[in-house]
Amino acid sequence: MKNLLAVAAALLAASTFAQEPIKIGVITDRVGVSKPYSEPCTEGTVFGAAEINRRGGVLGRKIELLIEDDQSRPDISAALARKLIDQGAVFILSMSLTPATQQQQTVTMEAKTPQMTPMNSGDTLTTQLPNPYFWQTGPLGSIQIATLLAHARAQNLKRVALISDNSDLGQLLARFFRAGLEKAGIQIAAEEVVPRGATTAEPQMQKIRAANPDAMFMAGVLTAENVLIFKAYRQFGLKFPIHSSYNLSVPVYMSVAKGLIDGVTFVDAYDPDKPEVKQFVAEYTKATGKAPFNMHGYGYDGIMMVAEAIRRAGSTDKEKIREAMQQTSYAGVMGAKGMKYRFPEGKRAGFDPDGMVVRVYEGDRQGRVVHVGQK
Amino acid sequence: MSSLLRWLGAALLLAGAAFLLSDYHNDVYRKLLLWVTLALSYNFLFGICGQIAFSHFAFYGIGAYSVVIFLFQFHLPFPLAILLGIALCILFALAVAIPSARLEGFYLALATLALAQLFIVVLNEGGAVTGGPGGLANYKLPEFLGTRIRGPWYTAVIVLLLLGTLAVLWRLDRSWFGRACRAVRDNPEVAAAMGVDVARTKVTAFTLTSALAGIAGMVYAFVDNTVNPPIFGLDNAFLLLFMVIVGGAGRHAGAIIGAALLFLVPFVLSPLIGHHHVLVFGVLVVAAILLQPRGLVGLYDAIRRHP
Repeated sequence: MKNLLAVAAALLAASTFAQEPIKIGVITDRVGVSKPYSEPCTEGTVFGAAEINRRGGVLGRKIELLIEDDQSRPDISAALARKLIDQGAVFILSMSLTPATQQQQTVTMEAKTPQMTPMNSGDTLTTQLPNPYFWQTGPLGSIQIATLLAHARAQNLKRVALISDNSDLGQLLARFFRAGLEKAGIQIAAEEVVPRGATTAEPQMQKIRAANPDAMFMAGVLTAENVLIFKAYRQFGLKFPIHSSYNLSVPVYMSVAKGLIDGVTFVDAYDPDKPEVKQFVAEYTKATGKAPFNMHGYGYDGIMMVAEAIRRAGSTDKEKIREAMQQTSYAGVMGAKGMKYRFPEGKRAGFDPDGMVVRVYEGDRQGRVVHVGQK
Repeated sequence: MSSLLRWLGAALLLAGAAFLLSDYHNDVYRKLLLWVTLALSYNFLFGICGQIAFSHFAFYGIGAYSVVIFLFQFHLPFPLAILLGIALCILFALAVAIPSARLEGFYLALATLALAQLFIVVLNEGGAVTGGPGGLANYKLPEFLGTRIRGPWYTAVIVLLLLGTLAVLWRLDRSWFGRACRAVRDNPEVAAAMGVDVARTKVTAFTLTSALAGIAGMVYAFVDNTVNPPIFGLDNAFLLLFMVIVGGAGRHAGAIIGAALLFLVPFVLSPLIGHHHVLVFGVLVVAAILLQPRGLVGLYDAIRRHP
């Protein structure tokens, strides 16, 4: 009897997996400017899809990822969205540059195909186009800055310095920082820019030292230039605290800025003490042999939310998936303890405004959480 | 008459192909046709007139942004928006070309590189007018006689743009002006001694090709109904230069082959060899520069001469 049941179960499983898989499109960047973020995010999605399939799939069907590389080129990205839709993708996960995701939206809106970015942080992605088929679960840029400033307010800062690089994103973040600091009544005593390709940041840091600020905010996103800033900071023996954008949450700094970053605080969406994170790290490490970091978590949460929405929709009908996606309430790897992704009142940006954390580098390691949310 | 028939046949063939393609292939085809159009006008400036300029893609962007801004921010009528967009491109081109006419080689390259970078800064910092880093979206091509041109019909419009651009450049290349451009490219001093106004020739070629790039940009603006800064960045400006070099600078066929090859490389090779397609791209560019400076068209000529 036992054997018969086992055979029946095996046959059932075989028939389940013999069904047509559910195709989910992924547009990532493997060679362009977004590669450092897109690749780990995609790895998280691939791991998530394998986990879902290992547990029996969705609606009794396997998930098949159709992965395309857009090189962070928006025009190519839109063409690839059409390709994925032509190939039968019922959902598209966008893990490339923000403008590329935006350009894909012009296609998904027309084709009424659900699309989500689990990692882009551009504030206008869900407001520029009235696309009911698009969602964003990456933390908005404005949330990141508000969280860091809330941490700054808690320290009662009066005069600060602001340093950035001349990249587009660096300048954009610097503008957000400036506006936030001014709104909070914190005086910007010195503002400096380290140009791309600089060989030293000493002149800029000398000026900041002369301004004698209570703290320094870093808005730059260029790794090499940020390392120069840390070098000059250590060389001059400066003691004021450094608060950085989410750029410092990318683990590359643990190896390229060894001995330079102890005590630097940075905004992140990843709390290593969260139970979901601990479980994710253990399972990912066991399956792949390497430890994940925050970007992997974005991709993992993304595919999990999509699978959950298809499960609740009970079919792969795109309209039903859209309706189910809008009802999402999901606690994932990313975000502060207890945070859930939600799309309230018809909104399509789902990261909780109080879901970000501020962490501190302990030695060369990304350490504990020192602040949560915007309060 | 036979020449007109040839142009008509080409138009029918190229436009007709769009009606046989899927949505995806139509999209790739549309963008390919636009790259070829741009490569043709850039080839005239760089390959035929010998001006190394990096502003061509910026003018593509000026055309795209201007038509969207005039139409949907200033609510101007469609024909007026197009005319003003072209006028704006000509104005910017003259503003760059007249002071640059005395610059040569790398100095012109640096001046136009500065313009291209400045354009991106303006787009990013342009607030509500340019949409900042997110660009402009949520607009559609206005209706014409109660109909909105879309799908393969819009591809047919791009085919007409390409053939129109090619026809203009073809005629110019075979005119006195085309010969003057080649003379200026090969030896400005000799050209001047032969009665060619070198500065005027350079300014005219720069302005004309920049205006053609602007018109192509206006057509691009309605391909995905969105414009954003990365599309018009320096990466694409360099890609355009490589297209002309790999294909064969100074030849219309070279621009067409180079643009088609380098644009399609990631689409064709990515499913086969993944992200290693960038290596193929690099090898193609280096091989063209080192082994075949006259590009793939030059290689074809050599094979034909010595079969």
